[in-house]
Amino acid sequence: MQLSALQQALQAYLAGASDRPPAELLEQLQGSAALGAADGLRIYHNAYRARLLAVLREDFPALQQWLGTESFEQLALAYLAAWPPRHFSLRWLGEKLPEFIAGYVAEPQLSPLRELATLEWAFTLAFDAADAEVLSAADMACLPAEDWVSLRSSLAPSVNWLQLQYNTLALWKAAKDGEPLPELIRLPDACSCLVWRHDLLCRYRSLEPDEATALRSFVGGESFSGLCAALLPHHGEQAPLQAAVWLRQWVSDGLLVRLKAGA
Amino acid sequence: MSMRTTLGFGLGLRSEYYQQILEQRPAVDWFEVISENYLVDGGKALYFLDAIKEHYPLVMHGVSLSIGGAHALDLDYLRRLRKLADRVRPQWVSDHLCWSRDSAHQLHDLLPLPFTEESLRHVAERVHVVQDILERPLVLENVSAYLQWKSSCMSESQFLARLSQMTGCELLLDVNNVYVSSRNQGFDPWQFILELPRERIRQIHLAGHSDYGQYLIDTHDAPIADPVWALYGKALSHLGPTATLIERDDHFPPLDELLAELEQARTLADQALSAEPCS
Repeated sequence: MQLSALQQALQAYLAGASDRPPAELLEQLQGSAALGAADGLRIYHNAYRARLLAVLREDFPALQQWLGTESFEQLALAYLAAWPPRHFSLRWLGEKLPEFIAGYVAEPQLSPLRELATLEWAFTLAFDAADAEVLSAADMACLPAEDWVSLRSSLAPSVNWLQLQYNTLALWKAAKDGEPLPELIRLPDACSCLVWRHDLLCRYRSLEPDEATALRSFVGGESFSGLCAALLPHHGEQAPLQAAVWLRQWVSDGLLVRLKAGA
Repeated sequence: MSMRTTLGFGLGLRSEYYQQILEQRPAVDWFEVISENYLVDGGKALYFLDAIKEHYPLVMHGVSLSIGGAHALDLDYLRRLRKLADRVRPQWVSDHLCWSRDSAHQLHDLLPLPFTEESLRHVAERVHVVQDILERPLVLENVSAYLQWKSSCMSESQFLARLSQMTGCELLLDVNNVYVSSRNQGFDPWQFILELPRERIRQIHLAGHSDYGQYLIDTHDAPIADPVWALYGKALSHLGPTATLIERDDHFPPLDELLAELEQARTLADQALSAEPCS
């Protein structure tokens, strides 16, 4: 058998569900007194699953706690069969898990399960997203008054903006703290939640609807003066103050990257 | 005894120890980094990599090259590896003599090759390509194996020796892997080491394994076993001073325990190198 055929045969065995080696693969192998060919193959077969399951457990701890170890493992094995690893780094192994869940379970579990997986994956994305020079309080202090009017920003590359329909953040936080998970509740209104990295640490925060609207408008290209104008109908003469309070918060959170004039 | 200079005694850089390394600057001569952990856009890993490289020499050690794979080489991966090497300026870049994927799917394991003339030609051709892209010799490591192909017509060490002669690649002798494979496959580990061209051995790996009685598994989760220490001492007497690195990838102990193990390697090396050369 040629090199490519040998490798295909071993690959098919390792990625397959059964650890019973096919006869045509065994024929190509030489066992020893210490380790027979079939036992040697099973070591690789077990190691493949163990390694990948360990990565998924690490990336989706809250999902595992919610489902329980056994159901999580069933989900993970079904996922790996449908989406075997394609990237050279195991860091990307779980990328399609939220999407896979959509075809794996039915409602009413589907939506909250997928939402929790999406939230956990957002932390993985934020962890090693591109670095950026975010606007700092010191930058703002040096900003000449005339530049405030035209100040425009975008979100830092690590920011993931999620719309949560359930109390997923509370579930995630309880799992992280090693506490029993609270009852699943559907929120009266969808809630904006940001997951990002600042000073090397992953962070998260939910936003009230009016702050979410303001931030979306500001990072969508609106200038600071435009933001103040947009807040006028609701906030009246307090609009500039409210805009400044939010802007200070966003800067202190490390969410914003300044757009240069003309960008 | 060879008079070549070596990097000395190093540890595998793992995130568990980042902060402590920067704060305490332990007496480690160099660190080896897993290349794939740093092929990312940003964040903590790259931050600590940049900080630690200011204080220690680094070596890049990859696990995804799949130099023996029948698939096409992943040129995107190689370009990113090259870019990382330009950033890190490592002493050398290593990976394993193995295959780990097909054209689409990754197995994330270090699978042994059949040691045939066909494999040798195939791997040699790919080593040339990799060395052209990296603009440096590739350093290749022997792996722990739990299977052997009937079609092999030479040993892994003979294969590595010929590969090195054909391509100019250098070798990373993993003493623990030699021991694990020798127990699993019933060959003489000392013969394996003797078959390698000693002038091509750039580095040595040491690590712990798990003993299942009949066979061993290379788990990197325990202290180095006594027979591996013994083989290391004998290997050093034969090779002369050689950069030595201890790997730990699970059940991470306090850093001090790894430093003590590194000290044990230094002591053993002193003894081995002051004794009569072994051949």
